[in-house]
Amino acid sequence: MKCKITMYPNEVAIIKLYGELDHHEVEKVRSQISSTILQGDLKTLIWNLEYLQFMDSAGVGLILGRMRELHAVSGRTIILNPSPTMEKIFRFSGLAAYMMHGGEEIAISQARGIVNG
Amino acid sequence: MDNEMILSFLAKSENESLARLAVTSFIAHLDPTIEELAECKTIVSEAVSNAIIHGYDGAYGMVTVHAILDGEVLSVSIKDEGRGIPDIESAREPLFTTKGHLERSGMGFTIMESFSDEFTIESHIGHGTTITFTKKFSPIQAIAM
Repeated sequence: MKCKITMYPNEVAIIKLYGELDHHEVEKVRSQISSTILQGDLKTLIWNLEYLQFMDSAGVGLILGRMRELHAVSGRTIILNPSPTMEKIFRFSGLAAYMMHGGEEIAISQARGIVNG
Repeated sequence: MDNEMILSFLAKSENESLARLAVTSFIAHLDPTIEELAECKTIVSEAVSNAIIHGYDGAYGMVTVHAILDGEVLSVSIKDEGRGIPDIESAREPLFTTKGHLERSGMGFTIMESFSDEFTIESHIGHGTTITFTKKFSPIQAIAM
């Protein structure tokens, strides 16, 4: 499991997850992601799941937990490019409205409220 | 019965990936679709995580994964000898969790039930829990024909 966090101007962070995200791995990446939210003026967290090979409900717990932290700073969440199986898991969990597919640029534009076309 | 596998390991979270890998390899020759495989891995992962987090809750104990393949039907039971589930009805409710402080989403049973064809929970307080699921695979070749 690898986790890469990239900060963009205008308070956007993209979290790219690689490998398999389960209960064991969540414990290892949670604090790293939390400290990104708590430092500075983060307003949008984009979870790019394109390179994630597996995720179970521990991933849902991780994202819901960070949404709660973001809520304190009125931040928002985008779940980008989940696999079909992950999509089902997010739907069951009531997170359908947060998912989108496409490039990171589109997700960033969406986050900034500049939706073209 | 075409094939059978029994795998036992200590209730440590690093073994969650071992359980997924073993079951994935066990059914590999069926040529499952990526989604069938992912769903099967998810069920195993949820059940093994539950055994470790709720069944043993940090205590020493073994988790046993018993898989049987009968044609295109996989049947897997995941067993712990931990504390058992006091209230199965509540545990099955979406979003219900007794471990909210650990950021458990409470979606484990909902996901397991949705991804399997048959799903049963057998639990006895103080003696442990066995989760059994079956899943039928549709080989890719059969779909192509």
